Amino acid sequence: MTELEGRYFYPNAARFVPARASVVPVRILHIEDEHGQVLDEVLGRQVKITARLASLARRFDLPDGGRFETEDNDAADSLIWALRRRRRGKFTDRLERAWPVVLASLIVTLLAGYYVFAQVIPVGAEWLARATLPAVAHTMSEQTLRVLDHTALTATKLKAGEQFRATKLFMQVAAHARGGLGAYRLVFRAGRKGMGGPDAFGPNAFALPDGTIVMTDSLWALIKNDAEIEGVFGHEMSHVDHAHGLQLVYEAALLPAALAIFTGDVSQVSQMAALLPTIILQSSYSRGMESQADDDSAAVLRSMHLKPSHMADLLLRLDSKVCGKAGCPRDWVSDHPDTVARAARLRLQDLGPVAAGIDCARPWATGISLRCLGITVH
Amino acid sequence: MPESHAPQDDALTIHAVEFRGRGAEYFRIWVVNVALTVLTLGIYSAWAKVRTQRYFYGNTYLAGHSFEYHASAVRILIGRAIAVTLFAGYTLSAIMVPVTVGFWILILGAALPWLANSSIRFNARNTSWRNVRFRFTATYFEAFIAYVVWSVAALAIFFLIPYTRRVHDYFYVNHHRFGGRAFATRFSAGRIYAIYLIGFVLIVGIIAFLLGGTAAIVVVTTRLHDYTKNIHLPIDEGATTVIVALLFGSTALFVTNFVAAMVTNLAIGNATLEGGHKLISRISPWRLGWIVVSNTLLTLATLGLFFPFARVRLARYRMSRYALAANSDLDDFTAEALEQQSAIGEEIAGVFDFGFGL
Repeated sequence: MTELEGRYFYPNAARFVPARASVVPVRILHIEDEHGQVLDEVLGRQVKITARLASLARRFDLPDGGRFETEDNDAADSLIWALRRRRRGKFTDRLERAWPVVLASLIVTLLAGYYVFAQVIPVGAEWLARATLPAVAHTMSEQTLRVLDHTALTATKLKAGEQFRATKLFMQVAAHARGGLGAYRLVFRAGRKGMGGPDAFGPNAFALPDGTIVMTDSLWALIKNDAEIEGVFGHEMSHVDHAHGLQLVYEAALLPAALAIFTGDVSQVSQMAALLPTIILQSSYSRGMESQADDDSAAVLRSMHLKPSHMADLLLRLDSKVCGKAGCPRDWVSDHPDTVARAARLRLQDLGPVAAGIDCARPWATGISLRCLGITVH
Repeated sequence: MPESHAPQDDALTIHAVEFRGRGAEYFRIWVVNVALTVLTLGIYSAWAKVRTQRYFYGNTYLAGHSFEYHASAVRILIGRAIAVTLFAGYTLSAIMVPVTVGFWILILGAALPWLANSSIRFNARNTSWRNVRFRFTATYFEAFIAYVVWSVAALAIFFLIPYTRRVHDYFYVNHHRFGGRAFATRFSAGRIYAIYLIGFVLIVGIIAFLLGGTAAIVVVTTRLHDYTKNIHLPIDEGATTVIVALLFGSTALFVTNFVAAMVTNLAIGNATLEGGHKLISRISPWRLGWIVVSNTLLTLATLGLFFPFARVRLARYRMSRYALAANSDLDDFTAEALEQQSAIGEEIAGVFDFGFGL
């Protein structure tokens, strides 16, 4: 017969005495003190027993609010067995005890983590973006533009003739782009000068989910060759085609949820430990989209018998305008890829389609290759 | 040395709090928790939470007895499902139709007192020590005054932030009960203002130091660069963004925890439990700030693998600085009748990241 040494707490009280528990027929839990005085005797199935966890004391909660507890987990397990009760948590406890299982869990977690952040989230976001109703995308775009008009943007100062010329170029590109003529709309705006300083928006163009493409006056002023702005239009149209804007929105919503699953509860250590990975992953998703838009734009320009490399000239000119002669410094958390690399890739595109590159620094964006591990296969 | 905390009062017996968990042990529990959570697409997370809480409560000892966590995983799972659904609705509608944010703020404002109460009550009633559970007894109206009226006041007038912090601390401590006895804390408003002033001076000082240091480095490197044109600094220019973010993030983290340590010392250190028992809290603000900042940096550097060790390290230090000065032996606590409490409020508060408590 199994005997279990421990402590007995009187019903709903903090007072306790040293006690012994045993099982008497049939499946009855018997608790007595050191002198053999019976403290409680209850049916085994009426007792609530805590699951085994590390070396925590095991608790037997009795129906009248009393409690028996013991540090001897192995003996407690055999007592539970004698009561013919299920040993809850036994399986999990086994897992937590075995180092090989822990190691396997670690590998499962890392692989699943890679898969979720590299595949599930971007693909899921793309699927959601495609499933989003056009009406919703339209409302979102209208509201975004309205907010920007109140804060960072103001009416264009381009003459009607300039606007006409830009729109004509825009339509020529649209006719070759995936969405066709009706899918995009060009809108002119100027950056608002904030508090006497230069406008924060600068030379820029961006796409909204419903196909509205906004170009700032200062970008138009920078153009030296029509093909340059046509490259930009092609780039923004690709953002519209792939619903990149919506994808980013969904990714922003999915990322914290996924991170929470993987870390358990980061806030226990600090918010910063959760925030930084979010920013880094989010910007890497964004860089992947920019590269895709560049490639699409190059394909459109080639189909128009134009050279994609003109856009490279514009990108470098933009950089030196914003950051001075030396160009902008490389940035780990930027939402655009390194400009020099972008320009180089666009130049290559003059010759024909360039195979999707594998970026070893950001395997979640492009996939991983043996080359990244220093292994070359001949 | 728990004796060193002893106030000069012969009638009181000092019982130190001690955390006995070990990093390697919790690491295994954590890894299995994460793997099972991922494999079950998040469903296991409720059981993971219970195991984690049980591990931390069960390894915290006061006067030879550990605390216990009793929450049911099924209840947590239900609460979590509701909370996640609400949060998804909130996020998507806020992004797609920003106008709805106003509507959400109204709803959350009305629900906030209920959330605060049910979240704190859930944790209190599921915590026990020596077979006696804790209780939390605030009403909706009391929570409304503390968490809505005073929080709005603090948002409107920054000068009221420390005072509001005291209101929240009073609300939290003074509505807790254990074994039929009430907790009570009282401290002067002047002391909490002093703490916030120290925090303010500290953050200004550190940022001034960082900016000065950055300026000095820039000057020196440009000089060097002028002097020897072909020397390239070992630092990647892109890395500077990350370094700057880490420096300023660490500063904010350090000062937040520095202030939190002093506020906890004040709120817990001045608390009593009916029957002449006193609570003792002697957290060193420097030490706590250092532990949290180094924990965060190590967690980031190890891609999260240090996380379980960080949690154990933090718990070990915090708990070692708490103690109870008991007036009599601790046998005469008797549990009060307890009402059931769902986990919905607790989980919503968790998902929306509301912190109720000290």
